Amino acid sequence: MKRYLETGNFAITEGAILAGCRFFAGYPITPATEIAEAMSRRLPQVGGIYLQGEDECAALHLCIGASLGGYKAMTATSGPGYILYADPYGWAIGCEIPLVILNSGRVGPVSGITGAPGQGEFYLTRYPTQGGNYETIVLAPNSAQEAMAITVEAFYLSERFRTPVTVLADQLITDGFEDISVPENEDEMKDMGFRIWPRKINRGPNFYPPTDEIDIPPVVLGHNTGALCSDWTPTEEGYDIEEVEAHHKHAHRLIYKIRNHRELFSHLHEKKFMDDDPDLIVVSYGTPSRVVNTAVARARQEGLKVGALRLINLWPFPDEHFQKRNKYLVVELNWDGQLVREVQRAAGKDSEVHFTGCCGELPTVNDLIEIFEKILKGQPLARKGWQLEEW
Amino acid sequence: MKVRTEILASGFGGQGVVRLGQIIGEAAVKEGYRVTMLKSHGTEMRGGYVRSQVVISKEPIDSPIVENPDIFAALSLAAYNSFKHLVTRGIILYDPAFVVEIDDTLTCRQKPVPAKDLSVQNFGRPVFANTIMLGAISRHLDVLNRDTVLESILHVIPKFHEENKRAFEIGYSLFNGKG
Repeated sequence: MKRYLETGNFAITEGAILAGCRFFAGYPITPATEIAEAMSRRLPQVGGIYLQGEDECAALHLCIGASLGGYKAMTATSGPGYILYADPYGWAIGCEIPLVILNSGRVGPVSGITGAPGQGEFYLTRYPTQGGNYETIVLAPNSAQEAMAITVEAFYLSERFRTPVTVLADQLITDGFEDISVPENEDEMKDMGFRIWPRKINRGPNFYPPTDEIDIPPVVLGHNTGALCSDWTPTEEGYDIEEVEAHHKHAHRLIYKIRNHRELFSHLHEKKFMDDDPDLIVVSYGTPSRVVNTAVARARQEGLKVGALRLINLWPFPDEHFQKRNKYLVVELNWDGQLVREVQRAAGKDSEVHFTGCCGELPTVNDLIEIFEKILKGQPLARKGWQLEEW
Repeated sequence: MKVRTEILASGFGGQGVVRLGQIIGEAAVKEGYRVTMLKSHGTEMRGGYVRSQVVISKEPIDSPIVENPDIFAALSLAAYNSFKHLVTRGIILYDPAFVVEIDDTLTCRQKPVPAKDLSVQNFGRPVFANTIMLGAISRHLDVLNRDTVLESILHVIPKFHEENKRAFEIGYSLFNGKG
């Protein structure tokens, strides 16, 4: 195990390479440029290929080509680039092409603030393309070290589910420095919980079976095999078709291959101070959760019965955490409240769901403790928070 | 040692604020600590605002935010005014070439480190101001061995080793003891 003081961008690059990524196409954007930079240096060292696209849309198309050619492929960007993936993202979902996409959230909308963190793409990662009739897989780490592990996990899931997986990080993770341990052999990778799924080749004749089955090898071209990978609905045998019944079967596959295998995600969360049925559950993902953890630990010392729930698997949304009637506070790096809407839906009308948001920098521990106190006393949240019903 | 040590450095782009945080962070990794170092900045490579937040701890670090710095290195007046109120138990080390107006109402300790002027006097140019400031920070930093910090400087900045060693010494010997 080697230890470094390095950025999340470094950790993500090394994680991808450990997971077997041998193709990267990207387009530079703060705060993910250093991934492209590191990939351009590292991939040739391990027999991989780096290409720069003329824009993000082209970059993801290049990744699709590479994945269809048998490579584990990845791209990385921030919000303004992620939105340009809309077209190829849909193609990759439809043709079940494994890919890993890293989105480092900064402040939006549009170019916003480049060097500061934001969480504006919670719903965009659920609906990264048009048309509906699909489910997506999205994972959100909260540190550089975890970003490495989650990148490895993203490759694992993308191969098993044959679908693009988005890793939703933010500027503090990718740009920030941390002490990072990089495993140097397979034993160390196992110790760190890294799971690797090798690229397999689908030799037909059933390329797109009308089931929710996973672990079907993806379509790979150029190995005396292949299937048509167009932007139309694929038939079971890998031809394309424009027809209702075939579409119906395929759409169900795209949705339920993911929804019916939730057991593969259920471990991807973190709970702190949650064993004694807390009076308030603070829900977050990504870097705000680190401040939440500190704030909850300190609030406990002050006698507030508060617990912390961190989501690592964002989509498909883990409804199972919100089955019990409770008070929830959702902490996000945006002012509009995105995760809170999903928590409110999952928690139901009997629960009380509050929101506090900020953007560009993390909330402070003191601010959060003040908000915990107010909610527990039933006082309204002034200034930084609001209850969704009030709007 | 207390649970966590927090260091905040802020100024504008080109002064080496990120480098400074990186050097302290790397020294802490070498000494076996857990470290986080956040950098925030504008789009500009030079001239924009920059901030580094370093947290050093024996334990895994949850919040990487510096809320009560043990040391705040203020390298511009704007930075000084933005973050001076965070410092309650720690110390502010400021470069008087940029921080031209000091707030006397603060209760924390504040010490001038004329890093830019000392760099120009000793080396004929201001580029070593950052290393001089690192020397001053190192003097006030309980958790890290000064030699580890110096080693990190020489590792992170590959050029001008002799000048950087001297600059570090100049900053370090501005003060007696941890004061």
